[in-house]
Amino acid sequence: MKVETRLFLWGAPFFVLASVVYGWMTWQQDGVFEPVGTLGIMLVAALVAMVGAYLGMTARRIDARPEDNPDADISEGAGDQGVYAPWSWWPLAIAGAAAIGFLGLAVGWWVLYIGAALGVIALVGWVFEFSRGQHSH
Amino acid sequence: MAVVSTATAAATHTHQHVSVNRPNPVQVGTIVWLASELMFFAALFAMYFTVRQVMPAEEWAAQSDKLNISFSLLNTIVLVLSSFTCQAGVFAAERFQAARTGSIAQFWRWGMNEWMTMTFVMGAFFIGGQVFEYAELVHEGLSISSSPYGSVFYLTTGFHGLHVVGGLIAFLFLLGRSFAARKFGHHEATTGIVVSYYWHFVDVVWIALFAVIYLLR
Repeated sequence: MKVETRLFLWGAPFFVLASVVYGWMTWQQDGVFEPVGTLGIMLVAALVAMVGAYLGMTARRIDARPEDNPDADISEGAGDQGVYAPWSWWPLAIAGAAAIGFLGLAVGWWVLYIGAALGVIALVGWVFEFSRGQHSH
Repeated sequence: MAVVSTATAAATHTHQHVSVNRPNPVQVGTIVWLASELMFFAALFAMYFTVRQVMPAEEWAAQSDKLNISFSLLNTIVLVLSSFTCQAGVFAAERFQAARTGSIAQFWRWGMNEWMTMTFVMGAFFIGGQVFEYAELVHEGLSISSSPYGSVFYLTTGFHGLHVVGGLIAFLFLLGRSFAARKFGHHEATTGIVVSYYWHFVDVVWIALFAVIYLLR
């Protein structure tokens, strides 16, 4: 995962530099330092550093993937990709509850309480879907 | 089969958090989402600094002098320490230890449930402290509508506080999954790890907020 890690980590010093240059240039031009862009670019550096650090730490814990080998075959990537719910109604229930909640902002606060109650039910159902019933383990 | 995976040829073994050849997609998704959360807080910081720049300095100082630094520092220390208890919970989750093996006082034998409950209590302490702090400030005349300083103070710390409350709910769900499982496995461990990512993130954001709002003022 070297390429992914470097792609993000090398962005960090670049954005720090870009932030400093931007802040300096706004100060040169207007006599006041412009905080929004300076801080925004600085936090983009934090963003790429965070993603890069995660990728770097993950790379140390797992073996090289087929993607890391230029001579790998497509078939080497077969097997588990991760765990995914094959199907679930709960995301739809959560979306419905959220829609009712937002409807409350337009219609009246009392609708929001209905949406919130349904939201709690949907969220609990979604989180515990693979912990109970036929999936209990 | 307890866990069904769609894109697989042989799902008889399910490595969910320590797959030997792939990053865990739940963890990757959490990191991507936290990246967008970082930009959300970037907007809040930008708002704070903009208002600070356009507001007359003495008017700003008159409001920010109302902050109780030592009380907030205590709160901050509790929140920072909760990241360490959370990480201890992750270490327990990674060895698939849900419950303690010793007495409740033997914290070195705690499982994930004890460490995460401890983290929850410390996070709840932080929120309680923040509510107390808000009540004091409103009493002194600093409210969200009293001045531009009040607006940015309550928006930044308030949105952070809502994130901490969200983390507390996530800890309840994590403990719920852990208690619901007869056999603590990758499903529960992955949940514990991603909740810890979120908690560490919210903690680091608070350190930045504390430094900017309380120390720099």
